Amino acid sequence: MKEKLAGIVGGLSADYADLRYEENRKTRISFKGDQLVEVATYETSGGHVRAFNAGGKAVASFSDPSRAGSMAEAVAASAAIAGGRRQKPLRLAEAPVITDTFPIRSESDLRSVSFQEKLDLTTHYNRMILGEKEIATVETNYDEFVSRRVFVNSEGTLVEYEIVLANILGFIVSKRGDVMQRVRFAFGGDADFARIRGRDEDLKQRIVFAQQLLDAEPAKAGLFPVILDPSESGLFIHEAFGHLSEADGLQNNPAFREKLQIGAPLGKPILNVYDDPSLPEHPGTYVIDDEGVLGVRTELITEGILSGRLHSRETAAEFGEPLSGNMRAVGETYTPVVRMSNIGMDPGTDTFDDMVASIDHGYYLVGAKGGQTSGDQFTFGAQWGYTIENGKLGSMVRDINMSGELFSTLQRISMVGDQTEGSERGGCGKAGQMNRLSGKDTPPIKIDQVTIGGV
Amino acid sequence: MHKFIEQARSAVDQAELYWKRTHSITASYENNQLQEIAENDLSSVAVRVIHEGKLGSTFAVSPDQEGLVDQAKTAATHGDQATFSFAPQADYPSVEGSNPDTAGLSSENLVALCESTIDAIRTKRDDLALSVEAEVETQSLVVETTEGATGSFESAETLVSIGAPIKGAGIGVYKWGGSTRPLSTPQHLVEEFVEWYGWTEKTSTPKTGRLPVLFAPESSFLYLLPLWAGLEGGAVEKKTSPLTERLGEQILSDHLTVLEDPISPGSFGARPFDDEGVPCRKTAVVESGVLKSFLLDQRTASALGQSSTGNAAKRELFSGGTETKPSPWPIRWQITAGELPYREIIAGLDEALLIYFGMGFHSGNYPQGQFSIQAIGFHIKGGKVIGRLDNTMVSANIYEDFKNVRAVSSETGPALGFLNVLAPYVLVDSVQVAGA
Repeated sequence: MKEKLAGIVGGLSADYADLRYEENRKTRISFKGDQLVEVATYETSGGHVRAFNAGGKAVASFSDPSRAGSMAEAVAASAAIAGGRRQKPLRLAEAPVITDTFPIRSESDLRSVSFQEKLDLTTHYNRMILGEKEIATVETNYDEFVSRRVFVNSEGTLVEYEIVLANILGFIVSKRGDVMQRVRFAFGGDADFARIRGRDEDLKQRIVFAQQLLDAEPAKAGLFPVILDPSESGLFIHEAFGHLSEADGLQNNPAFREKLQIGAPLGKPILNVYDDPSLPEHPGTYVIDDEGVLGVRTELITEGILSGRLHSRETAAEFGEPLSGNMRAVGETYTPVVRMSNIGMDPGTDTFDDMVASIDHGYYLVGAKGGQTSGDQFTFGAQWGYTIENGKLGSMVRDINMSGELFSTLQRISMVGDQTEGSERGGCGKAGQMNRLSGKDTPPIKIDQVTIGGV
Repeated sequence: MHKFIEQARSAVDQAELYWKRTHSITASYENNQLQEIAENDLSSVAVRVIHEGKLGSTFAVSPDQEGLVDQAKTAATHGDQATFSFAPQADYPSVEGSNPDTAGLSSENLVALCESTIDAIRTKRDDLALSVEAEVETQSLVVETTEGATGSFESAETLVSIGAPIKGAGIGVYKWGGSTRPLSTPQHLVEEFVEWYGWTEKTSTPKTGRLPVLFAPESSFLYLLPLWAGLEGGAVEKKTSPLTERLGEQILSDHLTVLEDPISPGSFGARPFDDEGVPCRKTAVVESGVLKSFLLDQRTASALGQSSTGNAAKRELFSGGTETKPSPWPIRWQITAGELPYREIIAGLDEALLIYFGMGFHSGNYPQGQFSIQAIGFHIKGGKVIGRLDNTMVSANIYEDFKNVRAVSSETGPALGFLNVLAPYVLVDSVQVAGA
């Protein structure tokens, strides 16, 4: 197969072409309440071809491998049409030619675990939750993705690589009268099945939080200082800042490009942010991206100053910045886009107690609950929180949404905790692709002021 | 009838084949320049079987893939008890299918549409970094079952979208329109886009408190997704829906009528059958604020002792596709329009918000009817738009706040993105706003 694909891109009349072919095996086990609503193991396959011609770009996805050649020709022709309509030609940064294979190895590789064990474990976690006091319902999903990929380009790169990950993701729904609350749990995130086994204690704790939330008061709307726990600070730095470090979004937005030049002061010197696809045991870890470029650690903010950006070959050429290896596609039907791998923040020197003691009237927000950004505007939720009054943690609060503007909020990060924590399940939506190969590793942070929207 | 169904008949008790083939071409302009032409030629298959009373499913690229029946049969050995049958034979409503002029659109046609749209905007404003996208998609959908369903439908749709980032802000202004016919330069979208963009030059933050909020069609997902979560058969069955046991009751303002209308011929998103091969039909979901019908697929209908409403879709809140199992979802909703043009509604408002998007919806408690979002839109004072909203949160519970709707506009437009909805502007009397 790979020689055939190399022949197709090699023989194409285009300035540059590449082709990625994937064979993907997926396993899903899902419970809703006590019902096992889905058990499926199956394979899909397909390819994606890209061409740059005369300064223009075209891409195509196809299901039928016998169509690879004709789709590649169509794409080369479309790229030439596209090039003819541009004043400014698109270019690609030079990248090393790589011919290698990059298999994934893990001690308790999920591929060596029986289906029955996966089913039994999912059933076990689901049963643990059902029947607990004030639990209305539960969703428990086991999700496994094993992707074998071949990437070839017209420059001679020919690589085979794998993506292997699994996780258990679930939602515990508690209910009393009209109050209903949802708490999330996630285990796993990479090829290591050991991270999914034996998590009963973690799950019990989540059940307790779901029950306690029924007694919590809704958060009050207004402006407050907050402490974000590592899950929440990871979500914040990923959503609010991380997406703006992805150069493809910035490429065609003149106002933001101006604002986000390397060297721009973004925060206090305690703020250090990076992207690192080589962090061990994190969901966003990989060796090579879907453009045949090796992933490297990129310092994004160094002592409060913007110091780097995430790139494709196209955006690296456009910005005149180094390659980072962040072009990734979630599956065979998608074109790669620039995305974070594992985004992290270096730990600071503040203890959690000191951070709480520094706040007279505010909130401690816990547990990422989805976020959304648009340019410099961000909004995201917390699964629960606690009031902080006169330097002490108070009662539990629920229904929390916080929002703000990125640049002023980054400047308001005034304390950085001394310990980081990683996330166990990726989940990042961009360009219609839900990427689970996306991790975080961050300490708690204090932000002097954000807008809290209560209900 | 595909030979897969014939083969399945001898191997399992019941089988269902879902086979979708799509061909699409998209031309994307960014910052006024052609960024990319993208083409897709995709095939995907979902198979479900019932074997010895248990349900199993599998997926593939083509129905000719070997071993599909066995794969699904193996899944069924682990599967849950099947509490329903696959769709029986039925007569499907006549819905206009693929228009050859639309299906025949080429990348050159789409490039030309993007360029004429950009030119039309640039004659009014030449200082914007415009994103314009034009797309054509032809789709062939087959849903067949051993129980007799034989759905087959071909469609062709085209759409154009316009957007530009607001200077000095991270957000943008967006407009889009779709059709089953080839589109010419969308003048009305261009004019509205330019007018709205003009409103963004200044920012304005209202005071924290309760204010009237005018929800533009684009933002209708903010109240319609919580409504979907309440109407969805699964939530009704588990009694987690706040609408359980409330059929026939007033749940929203009498200004609001929500119709499920997937079969209006030639309309964008129309189709004769749902993703389980059950005929689609026109029904009132909410009529003058009174709850008339839940949304049911085969499974939830059976659990509730009713018939499917033809609402099975391979959709989840923010994802979907062939590999998603069917569950109840709005196929094509239409909210009945009112009398007043929306500009007249604005003219009558002392202080209010006009919202066209909200960020952070999915972190709210939407299953209970709540949303709490960062409002993207405009601040209205003295009957006029005085600027775009900055740093403004809006929180509401649709079953409380949407009981007090003051007006519904005469214009309707599409919601943003994944929800196939035509909605008017809806003015809600009093909503919690957190601003300055």
